Order: sequence, then C-alpha cells, then structure tokens
Amino acid sequence: MTRFLIQRVMAFLGRVCGACIVVLLLIELSFCVLGSSEHHVWAADSYGAMSADLAMESGDWWSLVQSRSWNTLRVLLIAYGGALLLGYSWGILSARFRRLRLSLLLGLPLSLFACVPGFWFVVIVAIYSYFEWQRPGFSNEVVVESGPDLMSWWYAAVVALPLLAVAAAWYLRAVSEVIEKEAARPFVRGLYVAGHRDEDIFYANIYRRAKGGLIALVDQALPYIFGGLICLEWAFQYEGVGSLFVDSVKEGYYDGMVLCSLWVAAMIGVVTMVREMAVRIFSVR
Amino acid sequence: MIGNRRSSKIIALAQEVVARVWRIRVVLMLALPYLVLLGWLFSADSDSDVRPAEVYTVPEQPVWKKPDAEHRFGTTGGGADLYRLSRVAMANSVAVSVISSGLGVSLSFLVVMLFAFSPGENRFRLLKVMARAGFLLPPMMLIVILTGGAGGSLVVAMMAMSGAIAFMLAPVVAGWFEEGEGGRDILAGYALGLTRRDIVKSRIIPIVVRRLLGVFAQLLPVVVLAEMALSFMGFTGDRISCGAMVAYGRELIIEAPWMAAYPGILATVVVGALAALGALVAGVLRTGRYPRFL
Repeated sequence: MTRFLIQRVMAFLGRVCGACIVVLLLIELSFCVLGSSEHHVWAADSYGAMSADLAMESGDWWSLVQSRSWNTLRVLLIAYGGALLLGYSWGILSARFRRLRLSLLLGLPLSLFACVPGFWFVVIVAIYSYFEWQRPGFSNEVVVESGPDLMSWWYAAVVALPLLAVAAAWYLRAVSEVIEKEAARPFVRGLYVAGHRDEDIFYANIYRRAKGGLIALVDQALPYIFGGLICLEWAFQYEGVGSLFVDSVKEGYYDGMVLCSLWVAAMIGVVTMVREMAVRIFSVR
Repeated sequence: MIGNRRSSKIIALAQEVVARVWRIRVVLMLALPYLVLLGWLFSADSDSDVRPAEVYTVPEQPVWKKPDAEHRFGTTGGGADLYRLSRVAMANSVAVSVISSGLGVSLSFLVVMLFAFSPGENRFRLLKVMARAGFLLPPMMLIVILTGGAGGSLVVAMMAMSGAIAFMLAPVVAGWFEEGEGGRDILAGYALGLTRRDIVKSRIIPIVVRRLLGVFAQLLPVVVLAEMALSFMGFTGDRISCGAMVAYGRELIIEAPWMAAYPGILATVVVGALAALGALVAGVLRTGRYPRFL
C-alpha cells in the first residue's frame, strides 16, 4: 500500500510538471507565434510585470494567487460539493426507483438550468440586485467591514450556481447509469427469483458492487467546473483565481497564467489522486 | 376484378419509397425540428458582418427604446432592433459551433484510427496516458490562452475548440473501439476466421460512427455556450455573438438593462432546443455517456 501511495504521489507530481510544460508551450505558441509578442516564455524579463490595480491588492504574484485562491475555494466548495451531494444522492435515488424513470424527472430542472449561459445569469443577478435591492450588483462593489461576511458567501453562491447545475445534472445521469448497469446483471434476476426483498437487493448487492464505478466518477466533472469558473468569476467581477487568469491573459502576464494554471492543475490532480487511492482501497476490499 | 395480375411498376416504386421513409422515420422526425430551428435562425434579414462595437456605441442623444410590441427585445442606443441582432448573433454562434464540433469529432475519430489497426493489445495506451496528463488542465483554460494570446481571432477560437474536443474525445472513442471488440458477435467473427481488419472495418467502425453522430448532436449546445462565453470575454474578435452583446450590455445595466438581459433569453431558448434535440438524437443512436469537459 505504501508503495502504491508513493507511486500515486509521483504520478501526481509528474502530471503537474507535464501540465506546466503544456501551459508554457501554449503561451509561447499563442503569444509569440500566433500573436505579435516578443516576450518569450524562457526570457526572464517576460515575468514580474503587474498592473497597478493588482499590485495594490498584493505585492507579488505568489501572494496574489494565494489570497485569490481562498475566494475560489469558497466557490468550489459550493459548486463541487453541491454537485457531488446532489448528483450522487439523486442519482442513487433515481436508480433505486428506476422503474419510475426518476432520473428524467429529477434531472429536468437541472438540465433546464444548464441551458442558461452562466455569464448571462450572473449579469442578470447583478441587474436584479441593482433594481430590486437598490445596491451594486457585481461582487467587487461592496466590502463588508464589520460583522459576519455573509456577502462573500452570497457572491460565491451566485458564481457557483450555474456550475453546480451542470455538474449535478451530469453526476445524476452518470451515477444512475452506473447503478442501472449493475442492476441489469443476471445475478439480480437470480436474487429476485430466490425471493429477496427489493431493498436488500439494491443496497446490499447492486449498490455495494457499483461502489468502485461510482468512485471513479468523482473527478469527471472537474475540468468543466474549473473551465466554467474562469468565465463566471470574470463576468461577475469576482476576485478569484479564474478572474485573475482571464485578466492575466488579457494583459499578457505570463506569471499569472502559469501560476493560475498550476493552481488549477494541482487542485484537479489532488482530487484525481484521492480518487485513484479510493478506487484501489475499495477494489482491495 | 381481383386476379393474379402483377402490380404496376409505379405502385411497386411507391410502396418501396413508403417503406424506406418508414424505416428512417425517426431520422426524419429528428431532422425536421433541426431544419426548422436552423432555418428560422439563418433567415434573419441581415448580413452577418455586424460589428457589436459599432452597434452598441451610444450616441450623445441615445434613441433606445424599452421592449414593446414593435421591438420585442427593445432597441440599442442607435435604434437597431435587438431581436433581429440577437437572431443574427445566435445564427453566428450556431454556425461556429457546427464547424467546431464537426471538426473536433472528425479529428478525434481520425486520431483513434491512427492506432486502431495496430497489432498490439495496448494499442490505445499512448492516447490514454496523454488524456490522463491532459485531464489536469481544463480545455476552456487552454482555449482562453490560445485565443487571448493570438489577439482574439475567431479562426483560432474555432481551431482551439476543435482541438480541445478532439483531445478530450479521443480516449472515449478509443474506449468504444475496445468495448466493441469484446462483444460476442466479434468473438464469433474471429472463430469463423475473419481477420481483425475485417471486423474493425465492417462491425466496429459503423457503430463508432453512429455513436459519434450522437456526440456531435450533444456537443452542439455545449460548444454554442463555450463560444458565447469566449465572445463574452472578448476572445473571438469584433463579431456579433450573444456573448459579445451581453458583454457590451453589461456596461449599460443601469441606463438600458434590456440590452444585456434579452439576448440571453434568446440564447437560452436556442441552447435549450439544441440540447433537447441532442438528447433525443443521442438516445436514438445509443451514444452513451462521456465526461463533460466544456
């Protein structure tokens, strides 16, 4: 087991290094080959520049990414945590009552919300809060100076909601599909013929056997969530890693692009590593 | 008089036509709403070379109107009808999406075909290793770097989206090839003496192509959303798209909130229609699940 853990950690580090190389190559390709920049990724003077606004927020890129990452983690907690919770619980429920086609019914509101462009949704929230609640709509316009900072949770929820809907809809369908595939195996018919109760067959046999497949899904929606995050944070002027990344691309700050990409790669990499370990543990059992 | 007369050629032909139409009735039923939707979008009476920077420029004396019976979505500061502009914008987005999705899906199939006839057992190993490493970087992030660095070009955006689709889809398609080779009919084919090449060509490729059509239909609304997000961030050049319209309207949310709000409604309706049709097509073609990456 220890050997397996070390192996996974090494694989994680290798993948993050690979991601870093890919990002550097893409920056060189897009800015210097396709674009007209003369700042190559290997030149030391291409790094270190920062706009006055960002410099006021934090002294250097590293501390800027650190401070922004707390805001993004808050969004991730709502979006990813909510998607896992909702997707898995509703997915298992839909598979349990598969004869009623519950996955269609439960997934419908999420799928409908997934058709709404996320950037438009956050702009609509801003318009609504301006006209109905008489206060600035975008997230960088109000700073809470005393008392509990509930506003930051509200802003994080606005950014997270469109991501949550899409990811939860995907998880719901995927979870229900994995369990239903397991339920279609011949042993299930045998258990019914032997007179076992429906509930016992589902929870003690089908669900238990599908656990490995269910764990394997855990990180599958992460590329979408992080990809959507960069657009939504920028649209809502939310000060997170995503908006920092878009600003860095627009201004051509290589430090910001590389650090934000690495941060995202590390986050996805950690979840993937945990997932691989969990699959191994469950398959050993 | 009923006898043993042979039916005429015309009746036989008509019967054959009816039988053929009946056989492809599901395809026709699904193609019809696509044609209606795309026909409605692309029949907007305007040239597609509308620049949002020009349309959304607010003159000193703006003549904008709130949504009313005459202008369902209201008008811009210069008096242009927003409903008509939104239709043109959505037609552009859908066109970009069709090209990008088509290229991406075809590219993924071509990439997998490079490995499909290799003799070894682990023929798709390289693809899978690359996919595992590339999984750490969200495709949207890579597309933003490419389009942002290139100065916001639509062609680069389309190429980047196609590349991202191909990269993420190739391991899924490789998995379908492996899945297809494990079927009982394939084992029976081997037992009957067919070569692997024959089996792949005659049994596996048709199934994979059928499933890819479903993927294409499912990808259309997803790529429309991605394209609008890119144009919202200003990475697809100065070309009209609902994303760009919402971005320009965002600057005027106090003076003219309808300019940001209404284009999004049309975008939601079109994406919803494409998603519903995509789900139906994927269901009919039994496409199956693949990870959501855009």
